[in-house]
Amino acid sequence: MVKIYENNNDGNVITIDSLNLWYGENQALIDVSMPVMKNKITALIGPSGCGKSTLIRCMNRMNDLVNGCRIEGSMKFRGDEIYEPGADVISLRKRIGMIFQKPNPFPMTIRDNITYGPKIHGVVENDELDEIVERSLKQAVLWEEVKDRLDKPAFSLSGGQQQRLCIARTLSINPEVILMDEPTSALDPIATAKIEDLAIELQKEYTVVIVTHNMQQAARISDNTGFMYLGKMIEFDETEKIFNKPSDELTERYITGRFG
Amino acid sequence: MKNKTAVNTRKKVDHGIQKYLLTGVAATSVAIIFLIILFIFIESTEAISAIGPWEFISGTEWRPFNGSFGAFPIILGTILTTIGALIFAVPLGITSAIFLSEIASERTRNILKPVCEVFAGIPSIVYGFFGLMVIVPFIFNTFPNLAPAGFSWLAASILLGIMALPTIVSVSDDAMRSVPKSHREASVALGATHWETTRKVVIPAAFSGISAAVMLGMGRAIGETMAVVMVAGNAPNIPEPMWNVFEMIRTITSTLAKEVGEVTGLHLSALFLLALVLMAMLLLTNLTANLIMRNTKRKFETGQGMIEKHLPDNVKNVINMAKRPVMLSMAFVVVMMMASLFTDIIVSTLIAFACILFISTMPFISKRIRSLNRQRIAHLAMSASMIVVCAILFILIADITVKGIPALSWEFLTDVPRDMGRAGGILPAIVGTVQLIIGTALIALPLGILTGIYLAEFAKDNRFTKIVRSSIDILNGTPSIVFGLFGFALFVHYLGIGRTLIGGCIVLAFLILPVIIRTTEETVKAVPQELREASAAMGATKWETTAKVIVPAAMGGVVTGVILSLGRAAGETAPIMFVAAVGIKRHIEFSLFDTIMALPYYLYYLTEVPNSEEVRYGVALVLLMIVLSMFAIASMVRHHYSKKVRW
Ligand SMILES: Nc1ncnc2c1ncn2[C@@H]1O[C@H](COP(=O)(O)OP(=O)(O)OP(=O)(O)O)[C@@H](O)[C@H]1O
Ligand SMILES: [Mg+2]
Repeated sequence: MVKIYENNNDGNVITIDSLNLWYGENQALIDVSMPVMKNKITALIGPSGCGKSTLIRCMNRMNDLVNGCRIEGSMKFRGDEIYEPGADVISLRKRIGMIFQKPNPFPMTIRDNITYGPKIHGVVENDELDEIVERSLKQAVLWEEVKDRLDKPAFSLSGGQQQRLCIARTLSINPEVILMDEPTSALDPIATAKIEDLAIELQKEYTVVIVTHNMQQAARISDNTGFMYLGKMIEFDETEKIFNKPSDELTERYITGRFG
Repeated sequence: MKNKTAVNTRKKVDHGIQKYLLTGVAATSVAIIFLIILFIFIESTEAISAIGPWEFISGTEWRPFNGSFGAFPIILGTILTTIGALIFAVPLGITSAIFLSEIASERTRNILKPVCEVFAGIPSIVYGFFGLMVIVPFIFNTFPNLAPAGFSWLAASILLGIMALPTIVSVSDDAMRSVPKSHREASVALGATHWETTRKVVIPAAFSGISAAVMLGMGRAIGETMAVVMVAGNAPNIPEPMWNVFEMIRTITSTLAKEVGEVTGLHLSALFLLALVLMAMLLLTNLTANLIMRNTKRKFETGQGMIEKHLPDNVKNVINMAKRPVMLSMAFVVVMMMASLFTDIIVSTLIAFACILFISTMPFISKRIRSLNRQRIAHLAMSASMIVVCAILFILIADITVKGIPALSWEFLTDVPRDMGRAGGILPAIVGTVQLIIGTALIALPLGILTGIYLAEFAKDNRFTKIVRSSIDILNGTPSIVFGLFGFALFVHYLGIGRTLIGGCIVLAFLILPVIIRTTEETVKAVPQELREASAAMGATKWETTAKVIVPAAMGGVVTGVILSLGRAAGETAPIMFVAAVGIKRHIEFSLFDTIMALPYYLYYLTEVPNSEEVRYGVALVLLMIVLSMFAIASMVRHHYSKKVRW
């Protein structure tokens, strides 16, 4: 068995190099380069439509679902090209999980939501599944709230709880990287704070990439930040630097809210 | 100031009149609907009291001329042919729908989806004709010893299955398409393959819609008349053994079609009672469908359905555990029954065992296959099933076109029939069909459209409206043969005016009335609320808003619906066969009170005239072309309006 996605163990989990992406005729990403560092939180910021979602969806090949989407350039996960012909998309997605903007639990019970992934990947023993349910929900700080109603439908949870359920669902298959596309934009401030705390907590074991429109959020929780504009990565650096001493004028104007 | 008051009063008076007019029209169509339902009830009372309901349902001998009215074989026939049709159509239909919704490219889908709608609109007489000329001989040639004439339960079920396919495919596809993209994305992001996502997320989420599709197809099979009459053989016997699919069989609808035109008294009343049984069966189907749909909806919203809720946990566990064995043993029995028609009992038991063994080892085998390969196999299977469906439909069109074209000529379209229909043309039939459509439109459109507008814009949300809606639903699900029966009893039997054009128009108008009411109501309701508010905000009255804003905005949808339902009326045979149509007329008449020739009935008539094959195919082709052009016009209208009105 050839080991895939195991080639490099330096600090960068994902390395993107001059990535270009087209939706049909429209180019949505232009020469984007950036690293995603291990056990760090990487934030992507930028005005609406600049390509943040597009970029983050490239990282686990969710753009494969979009008709007419074409990609050029290099994106490596642990040293292996993920867009090479014959690349193993299934195990890539297993190792790079994703949380979406709107909580999207399946129309099933809470338990079935969590066991869905493990079952797909071949776990059949009930004991093992129960363990996974408990572990994932605990990691997502949801266990105490739902442990007595695991067989209730996921839709009966509040929006914030649903989003944490989605995080637990992602954690159930032990990914290495967790991609979050504006995970808090549909939530109220209290639920948002919980998710933020959770992201910081997760960073110890996982690598997190988060897209956000909330400057404070990016500044508060991330280690590295990339600022995007019109499909380009304008600046990528440590969060400290981006927010205090940005080297690009555009970045500065965006950060300080004097944009457009 | 003064002027303004005057205008306002005039407005008020005007709107009073208009409102009463609209309410009056709505009341009329509702009255008609009630009348039909009431009529069928009253007409069947004689049979109920003379024969007795239990004796009627359980009696095994149907010999009207000896006075024995045991409808059991006939009711059983309806159930058996329907089951057969479902066994054929459900797996094929759902897998094709999966292909259409989940696998096909947008281009393929854009072609196949309208194709499905067109096939759902082809007249049943054309399907019946196809069954008679292709399926019956096919069965006869394949099983000459088992089905000595080819006319059989099997033929009826295959044909009914084919007819139900487009509905099942199209409605299931809609259901699966409406599963939100976010569910799919969540699944894919967890490393599930496309196929795993389809199987574990999309299909469960679309389950209620898929059940509705099956129920719709089933309703169509139960109520279908002409197609069954032409291929089932119509012997009122219980098959021997009961699962012998090669025996001739008779359904409720075919009994009505065969016997109405020539009866009176108790026999006629017994036929009405049969119609009542038929409607009850359809009602039961619909209620079950509703129950299933509500149950699944509840299941998604609250985690458990209404039924499960009342069951204790251990019963639920037993049910869950018993599911597989029960399904397997059912499969076992069915396979064994079918095999026993061909060989002796030992061999068929062995065959059944082999099948069950195969089915039950499938999960173990499939676990050993890599998920992507599993996906490949599944996608291949789904595509294959879509290809089979397309092939069947293609054969139907090709057979009729290829054999029909030689018959077409200028003379064929402009001459009257000669030599009992073996030669000459079909002009009187074309003229008759056109007369029928025009008459039907004149009656049904004003009534239907105004009632639809009334229901959408003016009806209050009260008990009365509810009753109106459900009676429209009942009438909508009533098989066309029941309209024929109703028309016969009213015009021929009671009024004694015999077969007339006007009678045909009225019956067809009643038939399409519920469809027109519903499409109008739906399209009018679909007009966005903002438009109403915008108009009201400028001081327009409700009536003005409706007339000047809502109706024009809904026009495209209404016109499309009207054209499609007139197309349906043009192809109907069962409603006019006792009320208006005769086989052959040598001259063209324009009297409302005379009989007419009509294309669909002429095709039926010709199937009983030996050596008329060429003309038959010609008529079938002309009918097909009329219906197809109706679809073309309808889609042009839809396209035209969708460009004009946008929201
Ligand atoms: N499926 C698609 N097909 C075609 N074009 C798309 C698609 N998704 C996004 N785009 C286009 O690509 C560009 C980038 O979109 P993207 O969703 O990545 O922006 P974003 O930075 O996430 O914006 P937002 O902050 O509003 O979420 C936009 O111009 C958008 O119109
Ligand atoms: Mg976005």
